[in-house]
Amino acid sequence: MPNPLKPEKSVVTTCAYCGVGCGFKAETRGGKIVRMTPWKEGKANHGHSCIKGRFAYDYYNAPDRVRTPLIRASIDDPWTPVSWDEAFAYAAKEFKRIQAKYGVKSVGAVSSSRCTNEEIFLTQKFARAVLGNNNIDNCARICHSPTQFGLTNTVGAGAASQHFDSILQADVIMVVGANPTEGHPVFGSLMKRRIRQGAKLIVIDPRKTETVESAHCKADVHLAIRPGTNVAILDSIAHVVVREKLYNEEFVRARCEVNEFENWKALVGSDNYAPEVIGPLAGVDPDDIRKAARIYASGPNSAIYYGLGVTEHSQGSTGVMCLGNLGLSCGMLGREGVGVNPLRGQGNVQGGSCLGSWPHVFSGYRFVTDYETRSSFEAEWGVPLDAEPGLRLPNMLDAAVAGSFKGMYIMGEDPVQSDPNQHHVIAAMRNMECVVLHDLFLNETSKYAHIFFPGSSSLEKDGTFTNAERRVSRVRKVIEPLAGLEDWQITVKLMNAMGYNVNYTSAGEVLDEIARLSPNYRGISFALVDRIGSAQWPCNEDAPEGTEVLHREKFPRANGLGTFMLTEYVPTAERTNDKYPLLLTTGRILSQYNVGTQTRRTPNSMWHSEDVLEINEQDSISRGVKDGDWVKVSSRFGEIEVRARISERVNPGVVYTTFHHAKSKANAVTSDLSDWATNCPEYKVTAVDVVRTNGPAADAARDAATPRIAEMEPAE
Amino acid sequence: MSMTQQQADGAIPVMALDRIVLMANQIGDFFAPYPPERRAEGIRNHLRTYWDPRMREELLALIEQGGGAGLAPHVMEGAKLLREETHAKPGYYGPPKA
Repeated sequence: MPNPLKPEKSVVTTCAYCGVGCGFKAETRGGKIVRMTPWKEGKANHGHSCIKGRFAYDYYNAPDRVRTPLIRASIDDPWTPVSWDEAFAYAAKEFKRIQAKYGVKSVGAVSSSRCTNEEIFLTQKFARAVLGNNNIDNCARICHSPTQFGLTNTVGAGAASQHFDSILQADVIMVVGANPTEGHPVFGSLMKRRIRQGAKLIVIDPRKTETVESAHCKADVHLAIRPGTNVAILDSIAHVVVREKLYNEEFVRARCEVNEFENWKALVGSDNYAPEVIGPLAGVDPDDIRKAARIYASGPNSAIYYGLGVTEHSQGSTGVMCLGNLGLSCGMLGREGVGVNPLRGQGNVQGGSCLGSWPHVFSGYRFVTDYETRSSFEAEWGVPLDAEPGLRLPNMLDAAVAGSFKGMYIMGEDPVQSDPNQHHVIAAMRNMECVVLHDLFLNETSKYAHIFFPGSSSLEKDGTFTNAERRVSRVRKVIEPLAGLEDWQITVKLMNAMGYNVNYTSAGEVLDEIARLSPNYRGISFALVDRIGSAQWPCNEDAPEGTEVLHREKFPRANGLGTFMLTEYVPTAERTNDKYPLLLTTGRILSQYNVGTQTRRTPNSMWHSEDVLEINEQDSISRGVKDGDWVKVSSRFGEIEVRARISERVNPGVVYTTFHHAKSKANAVTSDLSDWATNCPEYKVTAVDVVRTNGPAADAARDAATPRIAEMEPAE
Repeated sequence: MSMTQQQADGAIPVMALDRIVLMANQIGDFFAPYPPERRAEGIRNHLRTYWDPRMREELLALIEQGGGAGLAPHVMEGAKLLREETHAKPGYYGPPKA
């Protein structure tokens, strides 16, 4: 009997899940994907994969995948299926009507890190050249925008300093607010390999994650801090470095602004940041702070890896600066085995940051206020461009609530589920007159949309992704787009419908335009990536095949020197009190991915069929909560009901949940405070209380009778 | 341009004033440890580089017409520099210069 799974065709492409960006061979039979095999030549994964990339691909063919454009005049009406041409014409008419009535700046666009570099670039072009304003943002706003800000301000480049393989030269690995074994599993395995070889491990995380202790992985020091005290604890580590003179004076004198170093020493070296002061505040033993500082500073090669546990705070950018300061002070930059590295959540967050989907910078992080940069884009695009920064995504939502913002093109995002303070987001959505949603599925946001463009999954289009180590890899079309158009074609046709005449014969031509307009991507093309497999930016005349390690000779700042920022600890305004005595923090799990649009539609849901609340035994006893009970979690912003799991992973006073399932609505409770510099939401700290309940009434009967697997089907 | 004008003339504010005050004070908190002149320039540069002009106008209107109720004094000092051309550094990014 012939093997029904035997592939007929195999195409090398890049995984669309986390920021590791593994190379895969997508194998098809009869025009359907039958297998995803990790690609041995993939430079990010060397033939390894995780259970998301390997198995969770069936979402592309889910029964509720939308295959026809939809429109409706009001969100209370049912959807009407229409042709592509009708949908584009309707969207164009609506955007023009709104701009004529409320002004040029009353509309904007948001792109997604699930989209390719080419699509992200085109979405900013749509906002700037076609809508005529800079109201353009991307989902890095709500995850790693502080990385761009904090690292640019210290080391000059808002990106990982190293390639992944660099960790195999590290003697000390410091993981801050990240859980690579679950969030970035293939990189997590590489990290474990190095730990098995003897590297020391420091973990700073409120939760006892798998990275703290699991097979092949045990932290030498775990600072289980209270959520919201990152900056205090990092300043205290710096305090020890300064007071015990553990810094690398030679490196600082040769490579950094020495006067700023002195200012920084005075701040973090003050008694305010002594471990005896910060330890009790952050809930950790002062001796552990000293131990962490001594291990990190003694290296000889110490590498920092961090995640959203650093960025998603009201001091997110300050936290990133603390890491930059620390790396510079100890001379842990500019060679293999060291560095400061963000672990990016989504496959193309780095690309999303690089390609100008921001209200204040064009691709290559160059300012819209800068005359020369703007002129180069005006020359290429043939229209005058707005010289002022536009609204960020949270600003757009605030403006929509106030009534000054009326229309939005949303490419591959689900703000209603993924953005904080859901009630506020819904109020904003309801206030808009035209929401154009471009996605694979009718997600939570679609309830408030007027036009739906059915998009293409990453298996159905051409382009490139840039992973967390700045590696640009090809996304290749494995099967034809289910709704007929690749995503980049949809954006181009929308531009055309608005009256802007532009035409590309392939996604490669968009990449060529990116290369012409973005210095770090100057040498990148489909031809280069096809020839050498992938290339890390900067890729240009000096580095024709890309650059593995940044900052070897100098930092990409005007004077070539790294600098130190003053990182005073400012406690968040989100505080516990008698009514909300616990701190809620959020995170992800191995088998699911973010809001679950993709993974929830695959059998991966058997591993994680619902979001649960982890609560320490002490807090559960005082509330009469037993393992598996339904509980209500309430905050100043809203409430949700989930099941409780008694867990030693969280300390007393801290509770934790994931946000993979729309039905649990985790973001109905999260606070709408945000980072001071970037407005990145403070997802990681919300004051809550937890009380036992009988569970959602509607769910009770079903829960008794139905196995959890029934919920594998698409959500709502 | 015309939109900026309309907003300045007091049509609909671009967003709720309490958000503007909260965000401005947060920026002020970050720059607080810097010496006075650098602190003011840091606040000014951040607002100039990252805030939509309508948001800046809303902040300045609060300071100039409302006495800056709710704003930290050093935030007002920094914001007022937005009115002075001598402080214009197009595209300036990053820390306050020494």
